[in-house]
Amino acid sequence: MTLASLCDEPMTTTAAHLSLPPVTADPGSLRAAWRIFWRGGLMSYGMLFNWARPSIYFPTLIGGPTFQLLFFAALGSYAAGRSPAYFALGNAVQVSALAGIFGMTMAIANERWFSTLPAILATPANRIALFAGRFLPFIANGLFVSLYAIAFGVIFLGVRFEASTLGVAGLALLVTVFSCTAIGALQGAISLRLRDGLFGANLLMLTFLLFCGVNIPVASLPAWMQVISNLLPFTHGLAQVGGLISLEAVIGVAYAVAAFALFSYLERSARANATLDVR
Amino acid sequence: MSAGRTLRLIGYVTWFNVRMLLVSEFFVLLTFISPLIFATLAFFLFRLGHGGSGQTLLYAALGSGMMGVWSTTLFGCGGAIAWQRWEGTLELLVNAPTRYDFILAGQTFGAVIFGFYGIVTTIVWGMVLFGMPLQATFPLVLPLSLFAAVISLGALGMLIATLFVLYRHANALGNLLEYPIWLVAGLLVPLTRLPDWIQPVSWVLAPTWGMEAIRGATLGDAPPWLAIGMCVVLAGAYYVLARVVLVYVLDKARRDASLALR
Repeated sequence: MTLASLCDEPMTTTAAHLSLPPVTADPGSLRAAWRIFWRGGLMSYGMLFNWARPSIYFPTLIGGPTFQLLFFAALGSYAAGRSPAYFALGNAVQVSALAGIFGMTMAIANERWFSTLPAILATPANRIALFAGRFLPFIANGLFVSLYAIAFGVIFLGVRFEASTLGVAGLALLVTVFSCTAIGALQGAISLRLRDGLFGANLLMLTFLLFCGVNIPVASLPAWMQVISNLLPFTHGLAQVGGLISLEAVIGVAYAVAAFALFSYLERSARANATLDVR
Repeated sequence: MSAGRTLRLIGYVTWFNVRMLLVSEFFVLLTFISPLIFATLAFFLFRLGHGGSGQTLLYAALGSGMMGVWSTTLFGCGGAIAWQRWEGTLELLVNAPTRYDFILAGQTFGAVIFGFYGIVTTIVWGMVLFGMPLQATFPLVLPLSLFAAVISLGALGMLIATLFVLYRHANALGNLLEYPIWLVAGLLVPLTRLPDWIQPVSWVLAPTWGMEAIRGATLGDAPPWLAIGMCVVLAGAYYVLARVVLVYVLDKARRDASLALR
């Protein structure tokens, strides 16, 4: 019996009952792409982000950043003799990376761990919509965490903004959170090939603390470290100057494109070598 | 069980756990890489404010190393019982003829000893990259200080392991408690810089006295006998508390048949 003839036979009652309604949407249409982007993004946040429950979210994304601000404000003011507000602001922006880096790593790498990656890659879904949809919830989450930390800094650690610079600061924060989420996406794509994706995520978090002007002014670092600083998110965003914000945006887009390119390459490579589920 | 066999068991489990942690990328990052990054950060900050004298750099290196020890203790011990549950070995260990608290002690000492590698790493890092001098004002007291710090942190690790098992997401508690203990134990910022009400909290924490004992032997003007004594006293107190909590938790788990349940 050939496969074609099997398909031509009438379905049994059970099979007909279990079968899904026929898909009428054209997978290449804009509507389908939008649905994958919007609904797929939200679903991936709820299902793949391990921290999206209060018992983990609050200790990790609210409590942890609060103590990080207090620690660096105390250390910085004691060791470097600068205002606690300087360290509070830098760290308040940096904590958005918790959502951006870890979130994106989980959103991409957990597809493999939960064995949903083959099913996703078997669909003809628009890859750009699929990939971009994962960004939005983590950008929103990163903004929320950062805004909370900034508010904490304003109330307890003397962080102040001039009214005239609020718009620029807000834009800088948005762009910085985007570029941070983009490097998180790249880390997520890399972790599809690693045994432990969170190793890279933790390493990135530590790197930001040291290299990006979060605690130490970039100009005080040795020249070779400044080269690395200029290639990372946060460095230009934290400076909050118009030209540097656009540079931060360029860096973010570059990381997002690199992440998508790597994801596509790994998908093709996994299909060609039958290594999709090989860990 | 004789004392010799007990010590042999604890020693074996300690060594076994050190070997297990050595192949974990997360713990290698926590113990070897993270303290180096924090040490570098501290070196730069202290250089900005204090000019970076040899003593200041050694102060920062020891503090950063101890931060790594605390992280390893927190995550290595906090998840100890939970991991045994996930791996399905908890029932076997609890029902073995040996006392479970000895096995847990070996596991937590393994995590703490593994964490102490981080101090060695940061000192070497400081010497090679920042020209930090290696000195100890009381070199003969230093091994005793290190031993006191290990046993007090190990016993605290046991308490953490037994308490964290009551919370379903032990790692989330680990994420929460890393920075506050670094701060409250005075690892990089002296306690005198913190509000007065924090100081009594720091007195009941093993990292405070462990750090005091090690710093006293390397940078202090007098041998740190008080800190060493406090480490021993706290180790005893933590062990008794951990044993009480462990007996309660295991009894409850046996009664409710929930030993393997999360």
